[in-house]
Amino acid sequence: MHEDLSQFTDEELFAPISHSDAESEKIAAPRYSYWKSVFRVFFRKKINIIALALLLFVILFAYIYPSVTEYDPFANLLDPNSKHLGPTQALNYFGHELRWILGTGASGEPTFDAVWNGARISISLAFICAAINMVIGVMLGAVWGFSKKVDMVMMEVYTIIGNVPMILIISVLSMLFSPTFWTMVFALTIVGWLGIAYFIRTQVLIIRDREYNLASRCLGTSIFKIATKNILPFMTSVIVTLLATELPSYISYEVFLSYIGMGMSEMSLGRLIYAAEAAMVTPGWEMEFWSPVAIAAIITVVLYLVGQNLGDASDPRTHM
Amino acid sequence: MAKYTVIRIVKGILSAVCVVVMIMVLVYSLMDRTVIFAGDPNYSKMQSNARTTYEQSRYQAFGYIDYATYSDYIKGLFASGEIDDETRAAALKIGITPEKASETANEYIAKFTQMYESQGYTITRLDADRKTNGKVKDGGQAVIYATRDRPLIKRVWSYFTNMLFFDNVHYVDESIDIGERTLTFTLHDPVYGGEKFSPAIIGNGTLHKYLLYFDNKFPFIHQNFVTLNLGESYTVNRGVDVFETMNATQGSYVKDTVEYPTGLVEESADDLHTATFVAGSLDQNAMYSARFVDDYTHTITHKANFSKLGFSFVIGIIATIIAYIIGLPLGILMSRYKDGILDKIGTFYIIFIIAVPSLAYIFLFKAIGGALFKLPTTFDMDNGTAAMYVLPIISLALPSIANLMKWMRRYMIDQMNSDYVKFARSGGLSETEIFTKHIWKNAAIPIVHGIPSSLLFAMTGAIITERIYSVPGAGNLLTQAINKYDNGVIVGVTLFYAVLTVISNILGDILISTVDPRISFTSKGR
Repeated sequence: MHEDLSQFTDEELFAPISHSDAESEKIAAPRYSYWKSVFRVFFRKKINIIALALLLFVILFAYIYPSVTEYDPFANLLDPNSKHLGPTQALNYFGHELRWILGTGASGEPTFDAVWNGARISISLAFICAAINMVIGVMLGAVWGFSKKVDMVMMEVYTIIGNVPMILIISVLSMLFSPTFWTMVFALTIVGWLGIAYFIRTQVLIIRDREYNLASRCLGTSIFKIATKNILPFMTSVIVTLLATELPSYISYEVFLSYIGMGMSEMSLGRLIYAAEAAMVTPGWEMEFWSPVAIAAIITVVLYLVGQNLGDASDPRTHM
Repeated sequence: MAKYTVIRIVKGILSAVCVVVMIMVLVYSLMDRTVIFAGDPNYSKMQSNARTTYEQSRYQAFGYIDYATYSDYIKGLFASGEIDDETRAAALKIGITPEKASETANEYIAKFTQMYESQGYTITRLDADRKTNGKVKDGGQAVIYATRDRPLIKRVWSYFTNMLFFDNVHYVDESIDIGERTLTFTLHDPVYGGEKFSPAIIGNGTLHKYLLYFDNKFPFIHQNFVTLNLGESYTVNRGVDVFETMNATQGSYVKDTVEYPTGLVEESADDLHTATFVAGSLDQNAMYSARFVDDYTHTITHKANFSKLGFSFVIGIIATIIAYIIGLPLGILMSRYKDGILDKIGTFYIIFIIAVPSLAYIFLFKAIGGALFKLPTTFDMDNGTAAMYVLPIISLALPSIANLMKWMRRYMIDQMNSDYVKFARSGGLSETEIFTKHIWKNAAIPIVHGIPSSLLFAMTGAIITERIYSVPGAGNLLTQAINKYDNGVIVGVTLFYAVLTVISNILGDILISTVDPRISFTSKGR
């Protein structure tokens, strides 16, 4: 082989390649896509797939089922035999349909329909409140963490407003306006963002003065760029984890408020539990009470589980 | 440290004041005041002008406005002897319309108007409300009254200046003749018959008759020189201070042989030491005149059970102690055997408590406790046994156990990768030794910070738990007050919460700086 090479000229052996800046900058490491890795890690666990499927099913069912079926809570109001029926009685009385599977309530309404209508309202409330609070909380929290002047003012505001009982604000607001869905959203968001902002502020404080940010600042990077490029990626997993605790907490809180008689007028899950409280101790009526409780528990547990594991997966340190 | 603590306390007081201001803005300015009539049975019975004046008097009772009527003004003049009976009768003839008023009435109406307008009141005159036949309707009599909105600043100022009440001999109105106004010190308390040795200070002209006395109830020595006045309840517990509402004993009366000042001996629950002055009560009520010799007739009764605060505190404090005793070791074990079976079960439990609505799991505990363990599920103050405390305590303790486990495990695991742990391990210490002697001490610091707060807030009671087990505790007081629009109680309870928060934060900071000398809140020595 070696002798053969000598027969060729340099032109025949080597071909010139044009110089390319882009090519020379390329690093021969495996491609890393953040979100792809997040989902790779997330779906590695079987339990996550099950939980996510359950979550999607519950949400889709809560939105699709009430919109394709007719639900009139007072349709059987005049039928005295239709009230407080157990599942088997209801199935025998009304015929074998899905909606009678959980029996009937105080005015003869199918518990199954009532629960899913309530679930839709509760889930909507949780998502809307979480969206508003998270957006405001994260943005203000970032500013709060960055500026020392804002920090001084906001800390005082936080200690003062933190002392005002939340139920007081909510009840005053629901007395000011009628206790509708949007009043509840307003009441839950008017000070709800403060806790989130405080949490984010602490996280920002922790990483604000890290060496790499100091270096970045020395090199003349603008604060905005540091916030969006250096700090925000670091915070993604924190924010997702926070969201995982926030979302179910609104459902729980709504249930709590309804139970103490300060909820909204719509028949949400909390209102259903409140209305059926007496049914809990009445033999044969338990289904009316435990169905909304169980659905509320399933929604919050699944939301929490998916959120927590998504939060874990969005931490780049788990992407190895 | 002392200077720092003082600054913290001053800041805390300021923030408590701010909270009260905010609450007052919320309840007095923003809330629609007509809602107070929604559940008022008297209101719907009232008609015409009587309804208007009733509205005003209720607004005054709830603390919205200052309100004075012309007839009260004339009565006041008569009582003080300024006018005679004849003038009074003439002055009260204000007529069905202004034109029909008597001359004397016009004269006094002018005086009334001048006096109150100079104080910023608005005078309203309602003409008689007549039927078509000219007769005055029920409650339709003509009235004149003056009203004035209470401005926020004045309200806040009077709230805080009246918060501490210092009893003095000039409390009773100077125009009332009650004999010599003095404080007497006696070594033999008359309540015990005047024979037994028991020092007491008795006042005449003061609000409380007994300003200092001893009895057999904790803390055995009691004083009434300074009393706390958090705000008067109107609907929840009429005319009683919030602090007393929370502190007064509940349940059935405890009767005892009581010898009244007149010498009457009776089985009664009255606590004579709590006698307060009610002007003119002795002559108005035959029951009082048989028992008392002066106007100090209003007493608090002995009752068999704890106060609202007492019930909440007993349940809360036991639950908190149990939570710390169980939660902390479990959290440590979970981190010690991380990813082991205990850790997995513990994590599952923590997720259950965090994710499931509290209402749902408390009902679950109630159902399980009632059905499987045959525990009483409702609280019965008078015929109850100790078993009725079990379920509320468990329902309160289980969530706090989960919370403590979660944080203890987190802090322990955070410490496990520290250099000092690696160093200890390389030095040959056993894992148990590292955990109990090194990691635990460092991980416990943030936990220690929360101890004062959890102990103090055990008092305020838990809304849901108390409601589900019908515990007569303090947890429901705020919701009850909100539902009944009892503004005084709302403000009082909120202030109570705010003060507790401030105290527990300061105590927590002091505690961690004593536990861990590295933590210093003063810049000195750094």
